[in-house]
Amino acid sequence: MARMKFLCDADRCIECNACVTACKNEHEVPWGMNRRRVVTINDGKPGERSVSMACMHCTDAPCAAVCPVDCFYTTADAVVLHSKDLCIGCGYCFYACPFGAPQYPKVGNFGSRGKMDKCTFCAGGPEADGSKEEYEKYGANRLAEGKLPLCAEMCSTKSLLAGDGDVIAQIYKERVSRRGYGSGAWGWQTAYREAIAT
Amino acid sequence: MLTKRSERQVRRGGLAAAIGTQETGGFDRRTFLRRSGLVAGGLATLGALPLASVRKAEAAGPAVAGATIRKNICTHCSVGCTLIAEVSNGVWVGQEPGWDSPINRGSHCAKGAATRELVHGDRRLRYPMKMVNGQWTRISWDVAINEIGDKLMDIRAKSGADSVYWLGSAKFTNEGAFLNRKLAAFWGTNNIDHQARICHSTTVAGVANTWGYGAMTNSYTDIRNSKTILFIGSNAAEAHPVSLQHILEGKEAQRANMIVVDPRMTRTAAHATEYVRIRSGTDIPIVWGMLHHIFKNGWEDKQFIEQRVYGMDDIRKEVEKWTPEEVERVTGVPGAQLEKVAKMFATQKPSTLIWCMGSTQHTVGTANVRAFCILCLATGNVGAPGTGANIFRGHTNVQGATDLGLDIVTLPLYYGLVEGAWRHWSRVWEVDYNWFVDRFDKITAADGKVTNTMNTPGIPSTRWFDATLYDKKDIRQKDGIKAMFVMGHGGNTVTRMAEAQKGIEKLELLVVADPHPTTWAALAPNRKNGTYLLPIATSYETNGSRTSSNRAIQWGEQIVKPIFESKDDLEVMYLLAKKLGFADQMFKNIKVENNLPVPEDVLREINRGGFSTGYCGQSPERLKSHMANQKDFDMLTQKATTGPNKGDYYGLPWPCWGTPEFKHPGTPLLYNTNLSVKEGGGTFRPRFGLEREETLPDGTKRMVSLLGNGYYSKDSEIKDGYPEFTFGILKKLGWDKDLTAAELAIINKINPTTPDAVSWAIDLSGGIQRVAVEHGCTPYGNGKARANAFGLPDPIPVHREPIYTSRPDLVAKYPTLPNAVQFRLPNIGFDVQKAAVDKGIAKTFPLILTSGRLVEYEGGGEETRSNKWLAELQQDMFIEVNPADAAERGIKDGGWVWVTGAENNSKAKMKALVTERVGKGVTWCPFHFAGWFEGIDQRGNYPKGTDPIVLGESVNTLTTYGYDPVTGMQEPKATLCQVRAA
Amino acid sequence: MVGILAKLLMQVRFLAGALALAFLITIAAPAAAQQPSSVNPTASAVQERQLLQELNRIQGRVSIPDRKSDVLEQPAGRDWRQWHQVTLRWIGAIAILGTLALLVVFYLARGQVKLERGFSGRKIVRFSAVERFVHWLTATCFLVLAVSGLNVTFGKALLLPLLGPSAFSTWSELAKYSHNFLSFPFTIGVILIFLMWIGSNIPNRTDVEWVKRGGGIIGKDHPPAGHFNAGQKMIYWIVVLGGGASAVTGYLLLFPFYGTEISGMQLAQIVHSVVAVLFIAAMLGHIYIGTIGMEGAFEAMGEGTVDVNWAKEHHPLWLEDELTRTKETQAQAAARPAE
Repeated sequence: MARMKFLCDADRCIECNACVTACKNEHEVPWGMNRRRVVTINDGKPGERSVSMACMHCTDAPCAAVCPVDCFYTTADAVVLHSKDLCIGCGYCFYACPFGAPQYPKVGNFGSRGKMDKCTFCAGGPEADGSKEEYEKYGANRLAEGKLPLCAEMCSTKSLLAGDGDVIAQIYKERVSRRGYGSGAWGWQTAYREAIAT
Repeated sequence: MLTKRSERQVRRGGLAAAIGTQETGGFDRRTFLRRSGLVAGGLATLGALPLASVRKAEAAGPAVAGATIRKNICTHCSVGCTLIAEVSNGVWVGQEPGWDSPINRGSHCAKGAATRELVHGDRRLRYPMKMVNGQWTRISWDVAINEIGDKLMDIRAKSGADSVYWLGSAKFTNEGAFLNRKLAAFWGTNNIDHQARICHSTTVAGVANTWGYGAMTNSYTDIRNSKTILFIGSNAAEAHPVSLQHILEGKEAQRANMIVVDPRMTRTAAHATEYVRIRSGTDIPIVWGMLHHIFKNGWEDKQFIEQRVYGMDDIRKEVEKWTPEEVERVTGVPGAQLEKVAKMFATQKPSTLIWCMGSTQHTVGTANVRAFCILCLATGNVGAPGTGANIFRGHTNVQGATDLGLDIVTLPLYYGLVEGAWRHWSRVWEVDYNWFVDRFDKITAADGKVTNTMNTPGIPSTRWFDATLYDKKDIRQKDGIKAMFVMGHGGNTVTRMAEAQKGIEKLELLVVADPHPTTWAALAPNRKNGTYLLPIATSYETNGSRTSSNRAIQWGEQIVKPIFESKDDLEVMYLLAKKLGFADQMFKNIKVENNLPVPEDVLREINRGGFSTGYCGQSPERLKSHMANQKDFDMLTQKATTGPNKGDYYGLPWPCWGTPEFKHPGTPLLYNTNLSVKEGGGTFRPRFGLEREETLPDGTKRMVSLLGNGYYSKDSEIKDGYPEFTFGILKKLGWDKDLTAAELAIINKINPTTPDAVSWAIDLSGGIQRVAVEHGCTPYGNGKARANAFGLPDPIPVHREPIYTSRPDLVAKYPTLPNAVQFRLPNIGFDVQKAAVDKGIAKTFPLILTSGRLVEYEGGGEETRSNKWLAELQQDMFIEVNPADAAERGIKDGGWVWVTGAENNSKAKMKALVTERVGKGVTWCPFHFAGWFEGIDQRGNYPKGTDPIVLGESVNTLTTYGYDPVTGMQEPKATLCQVRAA
Repeated sequence: MVGILAKLLMQVRFLAGALALAFLITIAAPAAAQQPSSVNPTASAVQERQLLQELNRIQGRVSIPDRKSDVLEQPAGRDWRQWHQVTLRWIGAIAILGTLALLVVFYLARGQVKLERGFSGRKIVRFSAVERFVHWLTATCFLVLAVSGLNVTFGKALLLPLLGPSAFSTWSELAKYSHNFLSFPFTIGVILIFLMWIGSNIPNRTDVEWVKRGGGIIGKDHPPAGHFNAGQKMIYWIVVLGGGASAVTGYLLLFPFYGTEISGMQLAQIVHSVVAVLFIAAMLGHIYIGTIGMEGAFEAMGEGTVDVNWAKEHHPLWLEDELTRTKETQAQAAARPAE
């Protein structure tokens, strides 16, 4: 099966935040939780680039490794998901995550974290595909419907790519060779231990 | 143990089987590539792919069982992105990418991807309300319409029809905009306006005065053909994000030059190949500086100028003054950089020029725009793919609303305020011309001359409060403005808000018909009575057509019924017309069902009268068919390659000549001589006479033709310039016999005495247009574009310093225009500028203040700031300050500051964003905020539960005086301020 | 072992990198303020690889008011994972199992330290009710904190296979809440211990002698000691400093992003866990000596009184002081006229 990945072509990203609101829209993510965000590097200077970032669904995911209760699992599409039933909100995945993906609702009286929430690659969670329980806990399961993550689908400039890693790497390679520049497949080395030769 | 791998495979298999894909990934490979933005060329390199399943996976159907799919158009800018809504049991439950749209191909920006929230409407106005002794009180629609109608009639009796100001909206559908203009005409005033006043009014005036029509010449997708893309005063990445898809892909594929000229290093500039930082308000020196290099090096397109341009020699004279040294002195841009840019634009063609409010919102807005057009003309960059003046407009339908005459100077479709135009619409509306004459106020001038105001341009929306606050004798109408009837227009988008606040207090009646209460409802807490709030459906809750910036018209379908007690704009206008007593005349040819005028009928009426602009061929049936068959249209050419609309351009971009039956395909590029008119080609429009008398240096006079000189569009039977078509011209050419008997009968009915005078623009049969087009001719004629726009205040654009300039030393050489009376009001810009220089304002307020858009918000922002998904992304009003300026003032990034403005002792409290986006001495604010005024949180002034999530100071609290003489455009892009840590 | 050391070095390096980053950002800003007159933003675009090489971390600007979200990439998370999953487990296992093993060996070799003269039957008050309350408050909290803390590092390997995911998760969540909530009484306990016993825990010359003689643990020696001998003082300072350190780092973790950002929290977690396992190891020794390790010791904290013989053997100087003080008090009482 396909090995799902995200790739943000920073030379296309214009920080329009469509990915961010598409995610909110599709999964009804509450205020204060940002499964996806856009970070601008070198803001206002020549060389400025914006990058859309969410869970990268790492190979050998650090979050899964450090989870004290082992609540993470990897699907056949290599999407890294977790069970909110098992999550205890300890925050360890946030320390380990290279991309700041895990989000925690504030619960209780003192900064205590609730159950972790993160990008699911629009693939839901352990509950039955498309079930009400799954939607309420993790949001929509587009992958099961044969659709890709909405953030990438709605990306204004087709900067954010989601899908089979080989295919999107190929698309990126072609883009770079066509236009002659590319600031890199942001996060790929860290997440997948591989770079895209361009 | 946790993985439900097996389960998913089973389910996927089931789904895949159901939809007939044979791929394993749940979506087929080709679909995926399409979605990843890989163009056809890339597909080929990836090898053969299973084609059998191309569309089926996409047609997998809605996520929610039983959901239906409805298509509408995103309202947040003019790109015209298709929205796909999934509706279940009357609730909008999901949004999907509209892959088939040849405009956005599934993409959205933050706003488009969050539209569903607008119709959930946590913060929407739920029912009509009325302010009673300072308290918001719920009332019924009947009571509201009755009370408002009575008050309007009362004001009309007391102060005249012109005392009611109708402020319309760029978020109307075309049908809403048309009816709103019609409503004002039936009421008897030209005091009707909308957001175009403050965004592209100067563009429309400047461009129309150059080559005929005031609109984007090419299209968003056509920019893919450009080799050089020049942005001046446009931050499309934030204002029109989806356009960047075409621009960046085009830039990549063509290895094009992308030049951004802006005082601010914007998100657009980040992707440029050349960034030019200029001082705000020096667009003309930049263009003249470029032309200086172009003329000096002979880079201009001499044949183009010879054949298609009038008056370029006058430009050469003006341009000679702008040596690289003078340009650098005024703009701050080094000569070498400008030479590089000029060379690229002139020689690496096709080149396109994109501009926006950074250039239009100035006292020299029209002149700026004119200079841009001249640059395009001088380099031959108009009228071909990849060239043109690509003017990005701001709302879904600001183009349509402009076209349909929500404007103080025209009737629908640019029929000017003259008797002939009134008579034309009287014929279309089947209402006696004299009935209209009686509806308007008659004013008596000091010399005893009586004027009917029906042919007098109204008061611009930028100055409604001046018309409220000024002494009656200073306003050239019967009385000042006593009532504002605001439909879908924010209250914080106009400069000088302190005065707007006083204006609101003084109004006798304020009606805000909007999905949200808007700033109008909250700005003036001293107003205790006489304010009505009417809940209006958003554009997503209505049916109707919308015109994108590229002049393409799309039919949007009602997604859900109006929520709460909201009503459709059309219904409100009908109810009001009924109350005011002219509904029967106004809706004579429009079917009304349950008080709701049928939008299809309204569009048919537009078609029947819209000949001047080619709004005549876009019938509702054709538009609906385009929307239903989007997949047939090619993205790059916008042409349908197959299906029922084969040969049509998407959305039938105007001009779409003749009647719908004539099946003109629309005009994707204006003035494109490479296509025959029948296929969407055209020529420049001779709109300013056929010839002009010129005085030569030796004093002798000669007549110079304004018609095209030896150029013509493809397949034209006339191989030279020609005037606009009339029945008389057809007769001269012997083409009159091509007219059908029915057409002839209509022509004769229009002007029984001199049918020869009936022109292409008023021929309700469409016959003259049809015949002209059949013979390969443009109905409006074939003329030259004007480099010298005689008749305008500055026929040759000249640089004029902003009213509040950071360079008072330049005012003596480049002063603003003298005081004058414009649009019924005095414009005292000259005095204000002089006083500012004399008082040394630039020393007290040493920082340039300019403003612009954020991607998350739109316009006044009440709607988008009420959307929780968007509001979360921008939670505070801020001012961008250069690190050097911040350090001098002890300002920290993210800290609170007080910003003070040059007029009214204005002050505003906001956060500082310390960034190098702005250069030293420059500050920038977004213009979407309101709800705080001079440090005071006005949240309590909104009716309970309707306050936007995010409030903040409006930058227009700080902006100042200054109006373009041609359109009344305000000047929020170049003023002065001071900032200190709070 | 070499591998572990290398890993540890890496941890230190990435923390240094994080600190260097903050510095770099501050110095980089003014240098770039003046832009060259002609710039090509496409050609000068930042490169991900270069940024990572320079700083091993990428940080930028986001519009949402959420500080943590502006760190785009911190590969250090991978290093921290290595720390948590490998290094920490080794340190913890060695410290705790090592201590246990030593105690077992010691017990087998030495057996219980008996009272040489047996119980006299006469008791003397060693700890007041307040002192005992504070001790047991802290001790109970400590036990729960230790177990729930160890669960985070070792539970997955040891308990999860036994309990199954659901039960283990429930237990771990309970453990997390106990850990979070009991941290407050524990901290109070540590503070009170610090204040209550600081007077008797300043090291002095007696301690030198005590240490020189190995505390008398080996053989039947009884070096003189005051209220607290040097070994107990050591425990005191371990509790005060270790408790303090784990409390401070713990609160940084409990209130994420209030005091630190992500690299600070990673550091805090490292300090917290190292201190905690060493603390636990030390406390194992304390518990041993206070229970089965020494006859008559538990009563001191259990009942508050000790046998006079026990005092004579282990804390002769304190006993002397106590007796002198008691006599003085009695004398004073006697001097008072009868009513």
